[in-house]
Amino acid sequence: MPSSSPKSARDVVLIDGSRTPFAKAGTQLKNIHPALLGQVALKDLIQKTNLDVNSVDEVIIGNTGNPPDSVNISRVVALQSGIPQKTSAYTVHRNCASAMESISNGYEKIKSGTMDVVLAGGTESMSQIPWLMPKKIQNILDQLVSSRTTGQRLGNLWQLFRGNMKTISELMLTPPMAKTAFKPLNGVMEGLTDPFVGINMGQTAEILAKEWGLSRLEQDEFSLRSHQLAVRAQKEGKLKTEITPFFLPPDYKEVIMEDKGPRESQNLEALTKLKPFFDKMTGTITAGNSCPITDGAAMILMMSREKAESLGYKPIARIRSYGFAGLEPERMGLGPAYSTPLALKRAGLSLNEIKLVELNEAFAAQVLSCIKALGSDEFAKNKLGLSQKVGELSMDQINVNGGAIAIGHPVGATGTRLVVTLMKEMQRRQVQFGLATLCIGGGQGGSMILENEGN
Amino acid sequence: MAFQLISHKDNIAEVSFDFPNEKVNKLSSQSLPALKKMLEDLQKSNFKFVLFTSAKKKSFVVGADIDEIRKFTTKDQYDNAVNVGQSVFNLIEDLPMPTMAVINGVCVGGGCEMVMACDYRMISEDESARIGLPEIKLGIIPGFGGCLRMPRILGLQAALDIILSGKIVAPKKALKAGLVDWMVHPDQLREQALRMASEIVKKNSGKRKKTFSPKGMMAQVLESGLGRMLVFKKAKEAVLKETKGFYPAPLKALEVIQKTYGQDRAKSLEIERAAFCEVAVTAVSKNLIHVFDLTERVKKNVTLTQSSAKAQNVSSMGILGAGTMGGGIAYVAADKGIRIQMKDLNFEALGKGLKHAQDLWMKLVKKRVINDYDFRHKMALVSAGVDYAGFKTLDVVVEAIVEDMEIKKKVIAETASKMKPDGIIVTNTSSLSVNEMQIAHPHPEFFAGMHFFNPVHKMPLVEVIQGQKTSDQTVMTIYELSKKMGKMPVVVKDGPGFLVNRLLLPYMGEAAYLLQDGMSIEQVDRMYTKTFGMPMGPFALMDEVGLDVCIKVLKIFKKAFGDRIQMAPCMEKLATTGRLGKKNSKGFYLYSSDRNVKPAVDPVIYAELGLPQPTNPLAETECLERGIFAMINECSRALLTDKIVDHPHEVDLAMIMGTGFPPFRGGLLRYADSLGVKYIAGQLEKYSQKARRLKPAPELLEINKFYR
Repeated sequence: MPSSSPKSARDVVLIDGSRTPFAKAGTQLKNIHPALLGQVALKDLIQKTNLDVNSVDEVIIGNTGNPPDSVNISRVVALQSGIPQKTSAYTVHRNCASAMESISNGYEKIKSGTMDVVLAGGTESMSQIPWLMPKKIQNILDQLVSSRTTGQRLGNLWQLFRGNMKTISELMLTPPMAKTAFKPLNGVMEGLTDPFVGINMGQTAEILAKEWGLSRLEQDEFSLRSHQLAVRAQKEGKLKTEITPFFLPPDYKEVIMEDKGPRESQNLEALTKLKPFFDKMTGTITAGNSCPITDGAAMILMMSREKAESLGYKPIARIRSYGFAGLEPERMGLGPAYSTPLALKRAGLSLNEIKLVELNEAFAAQVLSCIKALGSDEFAKNKLGLSQKVGELSMDQINVNGGAIAIGHPVGATGTRLVVTLMKEMQRRQVQFGLATLCIGGGQGGSMILENEGN
Repeated sequence: MAFQLISHKDNIAEVSFDFPNEKVNKLSSQSLPALKKMLEDLQKSNFKFVLFTSAKKKSFVVGADIDEIRKFTTKDQYDNAVNVGQSVFNLIEDLPMPTMAVINGVCVGGGCEMVMACDYRMISEDESARIGLPEIKLGIIPGFGGCLRMPRILGLQAALDIILSGKIVAPKKALKAGLVDWMVHPDQLREQALRMASEIVKKNSGKRKKTFSPKGMMAQVLESGLGRMLVFKKAKEAVLKETKGFYPAPLKALEVIQKTYGQDRAKSLEIERAAFCEVAVTAVSKNLIHVFDLTERVKKNVTLTQSSAKAQNVSSMGILGAGTMGGGIAYVAADKGIRIQMKDLNFEALGKGLKHAQDLWMKLVKKRVINDYDFRHKMALVSAGVDYAGFKTLDVVVEAIVEDMEIKKKVIAETASKMKPDGIIVTNTSSLSVNEMQIAHPHPEFFAGMHFFNPVHKMPLVEVIQGQKTSDQTVMTIYELSKKMGKMPVVVKDGPGFLVNRLLLPYMGEAAYLLQDGMSIEQVDRMYTKTFGMPMGPFALMDEVGLDVCIKVLKIFKKAFGDRIQMAPCMEKLATTGRLGKKNSKGFYLYSSDRNVKPAVDPVIYAELGLPQPTNPLAETECLERGIFAMINECSRALLTDKIVDHPHEVDLAMIMGTGFPPFRGGLLRYADSLGVKYIAGQLEKYSQKARRLKPAPELLEINKFYR
């Protein structure tokens, strides 16, 4: 590994990270509250770093589901993990990059000298995102709650009752996704629909697949690779250093030791057989070449270099730069192609100096088009205003331990998972610079560049 | 002066109680006459309202002065004292103006009876505030009119619930039951009391005598003549079931309430007073007061005051070994807010430990003792893992792994290297030497024994074992930690079986000899429970402990103590039968997985142990004396020669808290003293004609009494 760049006392260093195993929504972890997911990851991180919780300046946690019983979920996770009451905690939301946003917040606060120790991360239970009452039913319920007399109550109940008759017929007769006056809305689906242009995330991937000429086979092959690499990493025990075993309540008999998504039996034939989900006729995006909706949490311990040194910690990596950038919401999957040059510029590096990349796999089509875009002079000129392409990414440097297609994508937690996975692999491979990047629903991209600390 | 009169506007008087030279207010031969004088002045005064307040912090009146009661021996002494109290409270009740008790904290026993003589009661919602009548727990009954006034105010059912079990309730509960009229924030107590008093004065509503009026069909039926009979009958059954007839006070209280409910005051007080004197002079009451003193000694650290060491605060604990014991310790500690890290070799064991703790809390959730939030917070304090991650941050680590000296030594050394330099390690061993284990720790001063009893959440005793090299500070820290965990610690020196098991072993060993001599298992167990008052007989106890453990420990003892520990031939044989006791559902008794099926003695066990069918040839006295006296005999050596503990107090406390030795007997050594040590030595001499193991110890022959 080449010698490292000059060091400064205010460098933001990463000490260690920890996460729960990830499991597809509706499976093993479906009954676990996101605050508990976060707590398990955070407590493990605190324990394995022997952290004195009194030294923590702030806890910043990403989350998108915003559970109604824990609206500032970061505070709940912090207190349940034994962080002192005096220590502040807040939740951040930048959709798919919420848990990268939490790290970038911590970076700014440490870099500026405001703080020295920040616990950042993200937690998400997509299983527990609720169904929502449509406005019409909410109005009736509101009236019911505020009605004073029995007469008023009966009147409102009558409305609800009449509504129910209609609801039943609607539920029976309309297509599953149709929005009607009385039909509850699926919160997850609402979240995965762009609020600006009104199309589903899968449909944004369809646009990219078509515009960048990505075949179904290419995408399926990439998905198979994700499973194969993830399974290999599991077998080699690589992910053990970041995953904490999850004791499943209420019996605590089952202990989830690793991610449940990666499938050794996954094969190309099975993948090619799947029907396109979003565009039934001409589409190429299937459940097999997209990431599953997932439950999980990830946490990371960040410090200023001087604090880490005084406490005797040996950091794994330091943050060199980060960048968030925006683009057309309907092409949100291309976000990394916009945010990466920004982060590179801030770090004063070029893409060919980056030898390891975690590029989140929301959809195979989206990852592949990002690689193409970064390697395209035309894209650089037209969209980025650069004279030439950002650079070529080689497949043996990208997502070398598998990605979200196999492992899963708990929206509010993925950002931290990418950074943790990246820094641990940088340590193993002795790579000097690494990049973690992801696309963000709503039309943004986020990138973060790490430098190995050589420990 | 114990009482101060303060006058406020609107002609409101405040009588402030400030018992001289003490932290709390007591009703004594000094304060009661002073109160009487004050009341007589008030009677003649122009005040329109009287408030009774306390000048003590967070404490109203803690009741009668136990130190005075302890000195009384005759009925007359009690009669005089009770008479004074009753007449003073009558004066309160009979004051011409309305009265209000302003309860700022603990208000129990006589204090509770005092406020019930007032017209109104206001209580602070402070966490430490409590109100109730715990007299039953001291073997007496409420004597200052509590047996009359509480049923009148609360109704029969609620009053019986408090009086018969000696309950002390939190402000919220007292408000719900109607024992107090208002509950307010502690900082507002005075202001609100004055405001309510002014309002009452302005309304001129005068005196009131709060009388329970049943609400709802069910309550009305239960308060009717026929209903009352049913309530009394049920209450009596419940009391008998709970006390097994060993405790006279609750029955007496029930009798008083039955005779006086709704009757004329003067006559009722006479009945109450007579009944009080009757139970107060019993040995049971004296013994229960002795037990109360024993627990007070722990609260005040009486045994440790000679050391100047200060306890370290413990906020986190590691537990090695997540079995039932580990899980139980995790539960008890985390319940009191201590962060817990369990470590075991495999996830299955850890899962069991987590579930054990969870299930115990879930029971409390179901009973509504704690809510869902409490449950989540408590559970969040417990984590589990297979490595030493985080051990650097722990204050204390409890070792509860397999009982093997070499393995323990290895683990202790390893653990010490993972902890901070002044982290304490304690062992939960029940049979191995703390002194020897201590050597494995690089800083043996930070090593001690902390012996919990199974099941941890139910057994209050913790033996804190001070090894030769254990520092006073470590002992003090573990002592305070035990108290923080809600346990009763007793400091003991190292020695086989420490204190409790050392005494139990000869007792269990003797039970086996009774079996050998032709007694039946159920007969012996019945004698010890029904006649002597043990919570379970020796055979049931051995099943509970585990027969393999009993035999193993017996062998260790034999090695340590030689001849005086002997193993009945049937015990030797037991080792080969594969019976482990409750843990494999097969011991002296057979256990069913169905909770409704009572364990029954396995009929084939006699033949298996090479014994003929039992004929029960021995008298009850001999059966009981041989077992109990064997313990006393062993205790004379442990206490006087080996100095395992310093005082007989610790023995009595340990036996009551650790084995359920009947509290109404005051503990093993108080019981011994009540029989006379000479008598015990004589009987042992007699029994030892046939059995050398029962020979009285030289220590026993030397003394007349254990308590000096």
